[in-house]
Amino acid sequence: MASASSASHNNSSNNAGTNSNTESNENEDSAQANFECNICLDTAKDAVVSFCGHLFCWPCLHTWLETRPNNKVCPVCKAAISRDKVIPLYGRGCANQDPREKTPPRPSGIRSEPENQGPFQNFWGDNFQVSFGIGAFPFGYFSTNFGTNHGADQQRPQTEQEQNERFLSEVFFMVVLISFFFLMLA
Amino acid sequence: MSNTMEKRLQKELMKLVSEPPAGVTFDSESADSKLTLWKVKVVGAKDTLYDGESFILQFKFTPKYPFESPQVIFIGPNIPVHPHIYSNGHICLSILTDDWSPALSVQAVCLSIVSMLSSCKKKVRPPDNVVYVSTCSKNPKKTNWYYHDDSQS
Repeated sequence: MASASSASHNNSSNNAGTNSNTESNENEDSAQANFECNICLDTAKDAVVSFCGHLFCWPCLHTWLETRPNNKVCPVCKAAISRDKVIPLYGRGCANQDPREKTPPRPSGIRSEPENQGPFQNFWGDNFQVSFGIGAFPFGYFSTNFGTNHGADQQRPQTEQEQNERFLSEVFFMVVLISFFFLMLA
Repeated sequence: MSNTMEKRLQKELMKLVSEPPAGVTFDSESADSKLTLWKVKVVGAKDTLYDGESFILQFKFTPKYPFESPQVIFIGPNIPVHPHIYSNGHICLSILTDDWSPALSVQAVCLSIVSMLSSCKKKVRPPDNVVYVSTCSKNPKKTNWYYHDDSQS
């Protein structure tokens, strides 16, 4: 701690405009080097210190731990190291937030809802569909769908809206059939 | 990430130029503006088999440096004859792949290599040199190195 306070004294006197001689510069350099992160070689930000006593920026150390998730060792002395084996350092000027809490922000998990499935699994998997049809426009009505999903749909209890939709589509299909017979007869 | 790399390389370069360790000098003409390629001259230590010989080491850095090790090879006409150095300049040294740590630096790697040269007892190529050199990738980091513990022998 003594060296830390002397470093800050040197700093303030230099800032005040006094002639900085090389000696105090050297002192300052070595004092600052005492608080350099062992990875980025800069003054440690969001500093943490390992149980083996080595200083790092938490973002730097975290990146290293992510790089070799199976072999978490201290970069300096190869002692075992992990998120729980470091101590955050709180200087006077710093916010008292644990650096491990704030950086780096972890990506949030992505959870997707399962797709609706009938109670029975189909032989061909979930979404196997075959459609046959004749391509010319008016005859397109004749296209038929053989979907294995179709059966599963029917076994599922239907909501009111689905029933309405099914009813409507059946009515529409009948109308099309009737109009087509009219065309044939005419 | 790459910002970390540039800052760190600049710091390392300043240190290496201002206080070079014995037998290691940075070739200032070699570095490009992005500092991704360095050439460093190393001189064999006194009273060793490589006394007075000078070699050139080439360092290549990826944007993931220092979390990923640099690619280090010997280049130029003079490649040391050593049981762990292949004639194409590839070096069999664990800290260059498996045992890399971000606390290591260019300077540390250079010193390791100088000390590896110094501890050599007989100037010979590795036993599998011919096979390796004709089949290996250009990038030594793609080789599956098998490291021996030298300290016993």
